[in-house]
Amino acid sequence: MDKTTIICRCEEISYEEVEEVIEHGGRTFDDVKRLTRCGMGPCQAKICTGLVANIIHEHTALPLSEIPLQRMRMPLSPIKLEILATNSTAFSAVKSVLDEVEIEDGKVR
Amino acid sequence: METSYETIVIGGGVVGNGIAFHLSERYKEGVLVLDKKYPMSGTSGSTQAWVWVHNKTPSWYAEFNMYSAELYPYLSKKIGDVEYKRTGGLSPFFNESDREKAKQLAESYRKIGIKIKVLSREKVLEKEPFMNPEVAGATYSSIDGNVNPFRLIDMYMRASKKNGVHYSTYNKVTEIQKQDGKYIVVSDQATYVCKNLILAGGTWSRELGEMLGIKIPVNQLRGQILVSEPLKPFLNFTISGLRQANNGEVLMGYSMEQAGFNRATTLDVIQETANMAVRYVPALGKAKIVRAFSGIRAMPEDGFPILGKVPGFENLYVAATHSGVTLSPLIGTLITELILDGETSIPIDRYSLSRFG
Ligand SMILES: Cc1cc2nc3c(=O)[nH]c(=O)nc-3n(C[C@H](O)[C@H](O)[C@H](O)COP(=O)(O)OP(=O)(O)OC[C@H]3O[C@@H](n4cnc5c(N)ncnc54)[C@H](O)[C@@H]3O)c2cc1C
Ligand code: FES
Repeated sequence: MDKTTIICRCEEISYEEVEEVIEHGGRTFDDVKRLTRCGMGPCQAKICTGLVANIIHEHTALPLSEIPLQRMRMPLSPIKLEILATNSTAFSAVKSVLDEVEIEDGKVR
Repeated sequence: METSYETIVIGGGVVGNGIAFHLSERYKEGVLVLDKKYPMSGTSGSTQAWVWVHNKTPSWYAEFNMYSAELYPYLSKKIGDVEYKRTGGLSPFFNESDREKAKQLAESYRKIGIKIKVLSREKVLEKEPFMNPEVAGATYSSIDGNVNPFRLIDMYMRASKKNGVHYSTYNKVTEIQKQDGKYIVVSDQATYVCKNLILAGGTWSRELGEMLGIKIPVNQLRGQILVSEPLKPFLNFTISGLRQANNGEVLMGYSMEQAGFNRATTLDVIQETANMAVRYVPALGKAKIVRAFSGIRAMPEDGFPILGKVPGFENLYVAATHSGVTLSPLIGTLITELILDGETSIPIDRYSLSRFG
């Protein structure tokens, strides 16, 4: 493949940029993703995963079966935030920074 | 392969890299950073990356964060563009009853040099027009901001390598021994010897300590984040709960759960996070979420950083903390001073591991 070939179309990441991460010790799709944004585009890596796995395979001789795929997470395709929201204003895991401030006798604890 | 080093840093996250880089500014050779995976695979790759100061408590801890935030502009001059932006930080409140608390916070922090304004509803909406008009007010400080954590680590590593630091990745440390005044570090790929050893294993610090029979009381605290599609720039500030990155994506989330090392994202917390985001900025309801991620904070038992020398072990140092993105430049500076000068320019005694007895 040509050095300038685009591997990730959504984020316009070239072969060369993926290669650089592997030369610096990257071994997984996520390593490449965090350094280059490859895979963070609208298709969420549906197009570029396989291509990157191949480049890792070529450069490291790791068998394809040992190159972990990107972790699949919600949402599998883009979804509007309002669909996820339930309109509740009761929070338990989600905190407010100011709620964590405790005042005692007019002073910050 | 070289196996003898002056200093070995275990952990290549934002904390370990901050230390390695600052060390490399003062001595050019003999530093090795070891990571069991690739830097950013730990907590530093799954963070909000606010450089946050103004409502941390108590005041001495806020002050400590402030010193670090002050180092960021200089750090970016030295290592290159890390997309650090001092946007100012906004913490909204929705109940008028919180205003008194906010005022007391502002009043006590004025004394330590952290300027906080308590904004009226109108002022909040003037500053951040997309904020929910039902907001009662907000605390605001110009000291807060955010950074791109991936760029930060990438630039730290590039600058450190240029200064002679070695990195070995996918190389897990499995055993540490103390022998004849040196440390023997056994890893998957090799056995190393060093004089100074720095434990910067983040949320895995307890495990590293155990290799030497030391208790480093760090627990796990999960956080989950939602990421929107790139939107045209419309948020001006780092809001405690969400921020817009340079590329237009909005990162939303401020959650805490005990889930051990489980990095799953869960529907309940995703929904709560969505509720928080639309409550703060209703227009986000129409934005598409493209990604969710979760990270495991290193949370010391009493909530404060564990920094400095390990009592009873010569030339052994530990740096384990939450808010590591904010604190990285300061921790890197201070641990370097401690190793090379024997003392620090800002006292760190209260962060010593010895406080846990
Ligand atoms: C959701 C979330 C939001 C956050 N938001 C913010 C924020 O807005 N601002 C802020 O300042 N902080 C924030 N934090 C906290 C911040 O991200 C962390 O404090 C910081 O990333 C910790 O850096 P670290 O270098 O200590 O840990 P890590 O990045 O986890 O690095 C530790 C490294 O040690 C390596 N390691 C561990 N054990 C071994 C071993 N045996 N051998 C070799 N290597 C080993 C790991 O592989 C890892 O790379 C947030 C955290 C989360 C989870
Ligand atoms: S092609 Fe890589 S994210 Fe779409």
